[in-house]
Amino acid sequence: MSAGAPLLEVSDLTTQFFTRAGVVKAVDGVSFSLRRGEVMGLVGESGSGKSVTGFSIIGLIDPPGRVAGGSVKLEGHELVGLPPDQLRTLRGRVVSMVFQDPLMTLNPVLTIGEQIRLALEAHQKVSAAEARSRAIAGLAQVRIPRPEATVDFYPHQLSGGMRQRVAIAIALLHRPKLIICDEPTTALDVSIQAEILAEMKELVAELGTALIWISHDLATVASIAQHVAVMRLGKIVEAGPTLDVLTRPQHAYTRALLDALPSRAKPGEFLLRGGGVPDAAPPARRPVTAAAPVPGAPYFVADRVSKRFEARPGALCGLGQKLGLVQPPPAVMAVDEVSLVVRRGEALGLVGESGSGKSTLGRMAAGIYAPSSGTVRFEGRPVMSAGAEPKKLTIRVQTIFQDPFASLNPRMRVSDSIAEGPLAHGLVDKAGSAAYVRDWLAAVGLDPAFAERYPHQFSGGQRQRVAIARALAMQPDLVVCDEPVASLDVSIQAQIINLLMRLRAELGLTLIFISHDLSVVRHLCDRVAVMYRGRIVEEGPAGQVYDNPQHDYTKRLLAAVPVLPEAAA
Amino acid sequence: MRKDSPLARFWSEFRESRVAVAALVVVVLMIGVALLAPLIAPQNPYDLANLVLSDARRPPGYVGSGGYTHWLGTDAQGRDLLSAILYGLRISLQMGLVAGAIAFAIGVTLGIAAAYLGGRREAFIMRVIDLQLAFPAILLALVISALLGQGKAQLIAALVAAQYAYFARTAHGAASAERGKDYVEAALSTPLPARQVIWRHILPNCLPPLIVVATVQVANAIALEATLSFLGVGLPVTEPSLGSLIANGFQYMLSGRYWISIYPGLALILLIVAINLVGDQIRDQVNPRLKR
Amino acid sequence: MLTHVIERVLQALAVMLVMSALVFVGVYAIGNPIDVLIGPDVSQDIRLDTIARYGLDRPLWEQYVTFLGRVLHGDFGRSFVFGMPVLELILSRLPATLELTLAAVFGAALIGIPAGIYAGYRPDSPFSKLIMALSILGFSVPTFWIGLVLIMTFAVELSWLPAGGRGETAQLFGVEWSFLTLNGLSHLFLPALNLAFFKLALMTRLARAGTREVMLTDTVKFARAAGISEGVILRRHVLRLISIPLVTVFGLEFASTLAFAVVTETIFSWPGIGKLIIDSIQSLDRPVMVAYLMLVAFVFIMINFLVDLTYFALDPRLRKGRA
Repeated sequence: MSAGAPLLEVSDLTTQFFTRAGVVKAVDGVSFSLRRGEVMGLVGESGSGKSVTGFSIIGLIDPPGRVAGGSVKLEGHELVGLPPDQLRTLRGRVVSMVFQDPLMTLNPVLTIGEQIRLALEAHQKVSAAEARSRAIAGLAQVRIPRPEATVDFYPHQLSGGMRQRVAIAIALLHRPKLIICDEPTTALDVSIQAEILAEMKELVAELGTALIWISHDLATVASIAQHVAVMRLGKIVEAGPTLDVLTRPQHAYTRALLDALPSRAKPGEFLLRGGGVPDAAPPARRPVTAAAPVPGAPYFVADRVSKRFEARPGALCGLGQKLGLVQPPPAVMAVDEVSLVVRRGEALGLVGESGSGKSTLGRMAAGIYAPSSGTVRFEGRPVMSAGAEPKKLTIRVQTIFQDPFASLNPRMRVSDSIAEGPLAHGLVDKAGSAAYVRDWLAAVGLDPAFAERYPHQFSGGQRQRVAIARALAMQPDLVVCDEPVASLDVSIQAQIINLLMRLRAELGLTLIFISHDLSVVRHLCDRVAVMYRGRIVEEGPAGQVYDNPQHDYTKRLLAAVPVLPEAAA
Repeated sequence: MRKDSPLARFWSEFRESRVAVAALVVVVLMIGVALLAPLIAPQNPYDLANLVLSDARRPPGYVGSGGYTHWLGTDAQGRDLLSAILYGLRISLQMGLVAGAIAFAIGVTLGIAAAYLGGRREAFIMRVIDLQLAFPAILLALVISALLGQGKAQLIAALVAAQYAYFARTAHGAASAERGKDYVEAALSTPLPARQVIWRHILPNCLPPLIVVATVQVANAIALEATLSFLGVGLPVTEPSLGSLIANGFQYMLSGRYWISIYPGLALILLIVAINLVGDQIRDQVNPRLKR
Repeated sequence: MLTHVIERVLQALAVMLVMSALVFVGVYAIGNPIDVLIGPDVSQDIRLDTIARYGLDRPLWEQYVTFLGRVLHGDFGRSFVFGMPVLELILSRLPATLELTLAAVFGAALIGIPAGIYAGYRPDSPFSKLIMALSILGFSVPTFWIGLVLIMTFAVELSWLPAGGRGETAQLFGVEWSFLTLNGLSHLFLPALNLAFFKLALMTRLARAGTREVMLTDTVKFARAAGISEGVILRRHVLRLISIPLVTVFGLEFASTLAFAVVTETIFSWPGIGKLIIDSIQSLDRPVMVAYLMLVAFVFIMINFLVDLTYFALDPRLRKGRA
């Protein structure tokens, strides 16, 4: 590391939000410094203040927030308290920023070239021809193929990874001294993330740019940053060289974060920080009244199921198509003749990247979507009726969804959300429903007194517990879990994983577990099916698929997952 | 109302806007005054026996043959304008609210049914609605009132025909969005009966944007009724709404007798502005894109 | 794209057909036009003869088919009241209405959109609050009442501007226009202002709502992070993003302004088609009503079509094709 004054010196930075509920200290006395060309990771869970720290540095805190104190010195010049138009001349030229979701940051109605030109003109006068050639050069720098063509594209014509590369190209345009990346790969698939990480590392080394990489994911930070700072509740709790912090964590919070990762635990074991006292046992099941299984049939089977999504033409256009006047738009094959067998009591993991069709397959398995062709059968009987208006026929298959903020009706008390299914199907009578709901809340580790609350009064993890209680109160035998921990912080994720493992054992559940996160699937599942472009490309026992992948795609996928440095024993 | 219910949260946020609360008070007051018109109006403007022609077109403050002061003056028939406005307000509000309620019921049923049914039926219903929306409401109402003739029921029919499509459009948009959300899919995958999914899950969550449309449409219905009455195709002269009062005064305005048109107009505007202010606040509150 | 155009053209034809049937049946259900055509004291023979001459004794569907056939040749029949071909009558009144409507809509857009963008950009400034208060008024106050107040203030009390009529006109492309003479302009000003009021409020509110939402997006934040100035962000990013809903409303409102001209033309005695339709509703002049309604329907379909095409120009996401 070269000597000399640090490029960036943040000391005692405090950013407050003046809300109705009172003043919230989002950043509470943060200090660190960064040398030229250095890469620093800023990690923390949601609400830790890591993003607000980034925005505070470049002076982009919107009301009701405000930098309330401290100092940010860039090359020795104080930025806090600088008039807005002076700050503006620094942004993009000396410091720039890349955001999480490139779909939201790029303007959908301007071409890539126009957007780059606007960013160029912000700091210098350029002719149209010059702007275009600079734009092409900028795109080439971030490894965008055929930049001469891409420059005239609109953002929607590019993939997520390409869009993020465009955002990075805009950030690099004026060769800034510092780039702040706020969760730049979180919205991307793991294979794209690996590419961007590798390119970003090369670029900063090539240009000598310093980088602050903000992320919730310790593993990505470990693969790019030399230094790391761990944030919690607006404060930096631990900072130092990445390897030291991750292999010999000093602070209890850092240790807890690491312990909560399924990748650091043995498959099938309860995660260390996943929660203390065991919860109450779930209520007794109803006596089995269901029809006997069809002899010889597999427990659960998806038999050559496909799902086609097609743009439906208007009535007259449909006529036009039939007459051959108009070409029908191509249909999207989300799931393409997939067959799958799940044995009683097993947990099957369904992994794949976005667009692989795993969620669609899960929804067909759960009886939410009717397959376009093929059937899904549980104990030999179809899960959904055929015909023009298919209906779900069984209550023994239930679903847990990804986002607990979306999967609970915001206008219903959680007691009603949990009780309405069992009431509608006679699993419990009106008189007994209140006690039934309380028992289930206790079984998922919530205070039974919470029954009368509305979803907005719960945290994300608590809501996911409610959603689990709602699904399990239907007393299913098979549960389809669609990314149930994907939108949760790692510590909460560990609690929910532990809860699912415990309930699965206690209730003898069979699971179909859908996830993009390979480590979670490995931890929870006995068998794994890998989906790619609507098909299952590889399937087998979890250990075998992870340790000895056969299909090229599985190999690429596994290689792309960033790995944490292991503690030296 | 419990402290933690969504309604209570809504109200506590609403209360923060003083303008909106004031507007709500005005709306409630005006409804109250309209309901109590027979009790508080100095005169029954429909009772021809009360009217004295020598009292006609007197300016505000004139003490008429009845022995009381006409604070807002009198109209061409010698009616006390304040009483006429109170009774007119009654009719205008009645038209607006009844038409709004019927349009709400028809429109929301169609919109939610379309969103829930999907497929060809949805396409057909929404196509018809879109076509109708493309046609100006005032023209539709004008033609229908011309077809059906004058009268309260006819006018309401015209107003409903001109407005239901707005409710249907909004209900369809909201219900389609809710239909795709996880909590509805969760209800479908339980499975719950369709009736229960619609009534307990989809409809309550579609209400916020519908309430906004309802406030705007009630205000519009009142304005539209006034316009139709002004053009002479709305209510008969025997049942003067605020619009007909304004129309009756129009011819005297050029001779400087402004009050016959202006005061009913101010009452009409106060009512419509107040309803729209309430609607505006609700709109801002339910817009998720303005939440940070 | 071509698919889309074909679909829209087919649709437009279908809609026109349905509209013509609805309008025809609807309008022909009103009153008995014979009483309009001839006096009550003519002989029974003449009465029957007139009925036969206008084809009023035939079944409704037959009258409709005859009507459709004539319409295809551009013949909408003769006005009962004016005794001249309806098409000619309407075309002679159309420029007055077009002039009024265009003045109102463009005036509203030119003032309303900048005002709305400002109010959305600085929602808490006093000037924005004033803009919004005025827009609530403009949105709420019925057009006809504003018309009355404008006449009373500027024509009766202040005597600055005339209260009605078109004033002097001058010829352009063989058509008489008011806006070409000073006197005509003075006649145009009040009615156009009256008609623009509601649109102005609507455009302002729409531009404000769009701006407020766009200003909170990451697109704007990212532009700021790149050091782009606020002026450029408003002109290049925000205006482009809010233009899509604005164009929709501009199109729809142009058509509804055409309809609302009925009110304004009545108040200001502006000799356009709005005044004509109100008069013909009152005098049961069926051919004029039918032709007017079909004209409005046609204008509507054309405008919707144009709005659709503008979408393709403004929103690249609607164009097909992916890299």
